[in-house]
Amino acid sequence: MTTMTEPGTVTQVYQLYIKASQEEVWKAITDPVTVARFFFGQVREASYEVGSSIRSWSPDRSQMWGDNVILECDPPRRLVHTWRSLYDRDMAAEPESRVSWEIEAQPGGFAKLTLIHDRLEASPKTAASVRGWSYILSNLKTVIETGQALPPLM
Amino acid sequence: MTRDYSITYAPLVEDEDLVFKALADPTRRLLLDRLFERDGMTLGELEAEVPQLTRFGVMRHLGVLEQAGLVVTRKQGRHKHHYLNPVPIRLIYERWIDKYRARQAAALLDLKGQLEGRQ
Repeated sequence: MTTMTEPGTVTQVYQLYIKASQEEVWKAITDPVTVARFFFGQVREASYEVGSSIRSWSPDRSQMWGDNVILECDPPRRLVHTWRSLYDRDMAAEPESRVSWEIEAQPGGFAKLTLIHDRLEASPKTAASVRGWSYILSNLKTVIETGQALPPLM
Repeated sequence: MTRDYSITYAPLVEDEDLVFKALADPTRRLLLDRLFERDGMTLGELEAEVPQLTRFGVMRHLGVLEQAGLVVTRKQGRHKHHYLNPVPIRLIYERWIDKYRARQAAALLDLKGQLEGRQ
């Protein structure tokens, strides 16, 4: 009875604690300067309103990496947007998936960040590739907590 | 056991002891292997994957994995799904491996500087 459409097989969940307030984490994931520091130096453009675009480019702006739509925006708690990996031709041809960022305040001056990447049913190449969220998110944690980015992936 | 109670309201943030303790058990590593193969299984589905364990045993091991942050649960309708969370392992990797990689990169840059005559 194992099929590709079982919800569990097409959802990825990443969670970590960051020594920062909920607002600081929200700012870090939406502020273009901070986003560039933890997310492969991307150029980000977004107005963070439901229905509007959230776009990203390579650092030199020569290649579009993402052209997605904001589905939900509830600062400083929740940001949901579509996902299509435009930086790779095979992945770009796969159907759109969805990324949700959830930020919860925790005792002791911590925030809990949960990233859910789902609706990956028909996008196996994208699903394999976005396992890299672990690197992005631990980089985000390092940038917020120490102000320094990790060395680039080889 | 008092340690376990404190976790429920104040997670032991960045407690690597919990991660290593969780990974030190072969059954828990097996559960993680099964989730790696098929993420998001319910308790019932996980039970079927490790028939040698009782339901209570599976629950207990999942509890340890969850406290260490290696498993995250999400409710979906009537079912609770278990997901493998790779971030704590990534953080451990970076603590040692990436540090050396950064040092190596710096050393190479020094060498480059020297070779290019900027001693």
